[in-house]
Amino acid sequence: MTANQATHDEARSVLISAEGITKRFGGATAVDDVSVTVRAGEIYGIVGENGAGKSTLMRILSGILSPSEGRVLVEGTPLGVGSRAASEAGIALVHQELSLVPEMTTAENIALGAFPTRSGFIDRAELRRTAAAALEEIGVSVDLDERVARLSVALRQFVEIARAVASKPRVLILDEPTATLTPAETQYLLDMLQRLARRGMAVVYISHRIPEIFGICDRVTVLRDGRHIETVLIGETDPQRLVDSMVGRELREDLQVHRQSAPGDVVLNATGIRAPRVNGIDLQVRAGQIVGLGGLVGAGRTELVRAIIGADPRSAGTVTIATDDGLRNVSSYQAAVRHGIAYVPEERRADGLALTMSVSDNIALPNRKALSRFGVQNRAATAEMARRLADTVGLRPPNVRRDAGEYSGGNQQKVVIAKWLGRRPRLIVLDEPTRGVDVGAKAEIHRLVRELADEGAAVLVVSSDLPELLDLSDVVHVVRDGRVAGTLSGPEADERTVMSLAAGGQEVAS
Amino acid sequence: MNDSTPTATTAAEPEAAAPAPVDRSVAILVWVSQRGVFLFTATLIVFASVFVNGFASFVNLTDVFYRAAPIGIVAVGMTFVVISGNYLDLSVVAQVATSAVILIAVSNEYGIFPAVLAALLVAAVYGLVNGIAVGYFKANAVIVTLSTTYIGLGILRWLSGGSIFFGPEDGPIRALGQVEVLGLPLSAVVLVVMALLLAFMLDRTNFGFTIRAFGSNNEATRLAGVNTSRVVVGAFLLTSVAAMVAGFVLAAFSNTAVSTMADGFDFGALAAIIIGGTSVFGGRGSILRTLLGVIFVSVLTNVLVLSGVGFGWQQMAIGLLIVVAVSLDTIARKVATS
Repeated sequence: MTANQATHDEARSVLISAEGITKRFGGATAVDDVSVTVRAGEIYGIVGENGAGKSTLMRILSGILSPSEGRVLVEGTPLGVGSRAASEAGIALVHQELSLVPEMTTAENIALGAFPTRSGFIDRAELRRTAAAALEEIGVSVDLDERVARLSVALRQFVEIARAVASKPRVLILDEPTATLTPAETQYLLDMLQRLARRGMAVVYISHRIPEIFGICDRVTVLRDGRHIETVLIGETDPQRLVDSMVGRELREDLQVHRQSAPGDVVLNATGIRAPRVNGIDLQVRAGQIVGLGGLVGAGRTELVRAIIGADPRSAGTVTIATDDGLRNVSSYQAAVRHGIAYVPEERRADGLALTMSVSDNIALPNRKALSRFGVQNRAATAEMARRLADTVGLRPPNVRRDAGEYSGGNQQKVVIAKWLGRRPRLIVLDEPTRGVDVGAKAEIHRLVRELADEGAAVLVVSSDLPELLDLSDVVHVVRDGRVAGTLSGPEADERTVMSLAAGGQEVAS
Repeated sequence: MNDSTPTATTAAEPEAAAPAPVDRSVAILVWVSQRGVFLFTATLIVFASVFVNGFASFVNLTDVFYRAAPIGIVAVGMTFVVISGNYLDLSVVAQVATSAVILIAVSNEYGIFPAVLAALLVAAVYGLVNGIAVGYFKANAVIVTLSTTYIGLGILRWLSGGSIFFGPEDGPIRALGQVEVLGLPLSAVVLVVMALLLAFMLDRTNFGFTIRAFGSNNEATRLAGVNTSRVVVGAFLLTSVAAMVAGFVLAAFSNTAVSTMADGFDFGALAAIIIGGTSVFGGRGSILRTLLGVIFVSVLTNVLVLSGVGFGWQQMAIGLLIVVAVSLDTIARKVATS
C-alpha cells in the first residue's frame, strides 16, 4: 500500500508550497526554515511538542502572520498578506480557540464576515441557505436558529468547521480540533475529514494525539523547536518512532527523575478531584518532595491544581493539608493560603502580579498581616522583608521600589515566588514556572524550587517543558484528558515515556 | 520614568530588566496625568490672584472653601471606590441629601443624637447594598449605584414629601454651621481632617493597601489570599460614611435640607478625583491629590463666576477637562502595563 500511496501522492496536484519559512518574534525564532507542500485530497498531519511551532506555521499558511523569511505559494502564485488573501486563495483555518459569537445563531456564525446582502440589507434567506449547505457538506445537523451559546462544546466545534467550509476552501487547516471532544465526537470528526479529503479537499491536521494522526493522515511532518525534523508517509513510520522524533533531542541521561531524597510525611492529600476538564484525580505530595505534572496543553493540569487549592471551584473531591495543628480541609482558596499553600500561577502578568505596584508592595501583599500592627503597616519591616526576599530570589536590578511591570519576565516570576517565601509555605504550587523566562533566570528559579523542597516544603510543579519536568521532579504524573495516564519515577521516567503517555501513544503498565 | 539604572542588565538577561524606553513626550503626558494637578492648581491660583478682580480677598477664599467642603468630603471618600477599580459611587447624590434631611428633620423631632444614629444607619445600608452587589455579586458599579440613587431619592421624596426642612435658628446645627477654627469655617476643617485621616488609611493601613492592590490587579490580589469581596464592601462603606459627613456639613452650612440639595455631587466629586490624577482603571491614586483636585475645580469655578462667565460655560469647561484627564490616564495606563 505504501508504494502505491507514494506514487498516488506524487500524482496529486500541489496546492500549497511553503518554502524556507522562518518566523521570528523579537529575538525568539518560532519557526526556523521550514518547507512543506500540501497536495489536493490528502490529509497532512503536523505533530510536535508544545511550542514546536505548529500553530505559528499554520498561522503563516493561513495568512494571519507573514513570514520573516521564505514564501508561501498557492498553486505557484505567492500568497498575499492578510487572512482575506488566504481566504480568496482557498485556504481556511479552523482556530484552536473557538472564535464564534455566542449571542448569534448558528446560521449567522457560519456566515459571519461574509453576510449575503441584497440592496444593502442582509439577505436572511440566502444566509440560511449558505449555512445549511455548509452543515450539509460536513454532514452535521444543527438548528440554524439556535444561539451558539446554547450549543454543546462539540457542536460549536462543528459549527466552527462549517464556517471554514462555507467559503468552499481547497485547503482546510485544523489546529487541535479534538482537544475538547469526547472519543465518539472525535471519531465523527475524523470520519468527516476523510470524507472531505475524498472529495479532493486538502486537510492539514495539527494534533498532539498520535492515534488520531495514525487514524487519518496520509503524511505527517514532525516539527521540533521550530525546525522541520522529518516528513514521512504514515505507512513508513510507527507511533514510537514518531514520538522519538518529536522529543528528538539527544536524550541526556541526567534528564531523569533522579532526586532520591527520602520524602517526609504526606502534606497534601487530594482525593477524587473533579472539576471542568478534571475527571477524578487522586494526588499526594510529601514534605520535601517535588511532584511534577506532565501532559499536553489542555490536558487539565492547570484546572487540576487550581481545583485542588480552591482557586477555582471543584465539583467533587476532598483536599487536606497537614499543618502544625493537624489535618486541615482546604475548603476555599483563602483557607488554602491560611494553611500554608502558595500558588505561582501560569499567567504571571494577569494573575500573579499587580504590575502598577512596586515590587515591595507585591511582596508585602500575602505577608501584610505579619507586616502590620492593628492594621497599620510597618514600613521598616516591609522594606526589610522585600529587600531580603528580592536578594534571595536574585532580583535584578534589586530595586524593590520599582514597579513590577517594569521588570522582565524572569524577574517578574522571581517576584511572584518571592512574595510567597515570606510565608514559609508548606506546599508551593508552580504552574509553568519558567515559561518565557531566559536561561539564567530559569536556572535560578530551579535552584529556588529545589531549596524549598530541601527545606521541607512540598512542591507541585506543572510544566510543559519536558527537561524541566524531569530535572525537577521526584515523581511525575502524566495527565491526559483530565486523568492520570501514568505515574513515573526513577529511571523509567524519561522524555519518551512522558510524551507517549501524554499523547496517548501507549499505556505504561505501572 | 525611563531612567535606566546602570546595573539594569546582565549578560544573562537578554529580555532587559530595564524599563522599555518611553518616548519623552509620552513620559511628560504620564506625569501630567498623575501629578499635573500640583502644577495646574498653583498656576491657576497665581493667575487668578494677579488677573481676576476680587479673587485674592479673604472673604472670597473663605467662600470658596465653604462651597468646596461638602463635595470635597464626598470626593476624598469616593477616591477609595475609584482606586478599587469600580469607577464611582453615583448614589452619593442620594446619600448626601438623605443625610442632610435626616440631620435636620430628625433633630427637629427627636434631638441631634438620634438624628446622627439614624444617618449612620442609613450610611451603613447604602454602603452594604452597593458593596455587596458590586463586591460579592460582581455587578457593575455604575449600574448598581445609579439604581440605588433612584431607590434612595425615591424613598427620600416619599418620606419628606419633597419639602424643605429648616432647623431652628437657635439650634445646635445652626451653631455648628457658624463655628470657626482659626478663622476657617468648621466645614473646611472637617474636609482637611477627613482628607488626612483617609490619606493615612489609604497609604498606611492594610485596608487601604488591599484596595490599591485590588484596583491594580483584582485576580492577583485574590490569589494572594485577600478576601476581595470584603475589600470592595469596605470601599463603598467608607464612601457612604464620607457622604454622611458631607450631608451634615451641607445641612449645617445653610441650616436647611431638601432632597435635591446634592444634585451634581456625583460628577463634581468624580471631576475632582480624576483631575487629581487618580486612575479610573484603579490601583493608582491619592487622597491629597483628590483634595487638590477639589481646590482646583472650586477655584476654577470661582474664577469663571468672578469673570462673569455663565453656568453653561462652566459646565463645558469642567466636562472638557475630564475628557482630557481621562484620555491622559488611558495613555498612562498603557505605558505602565505594556
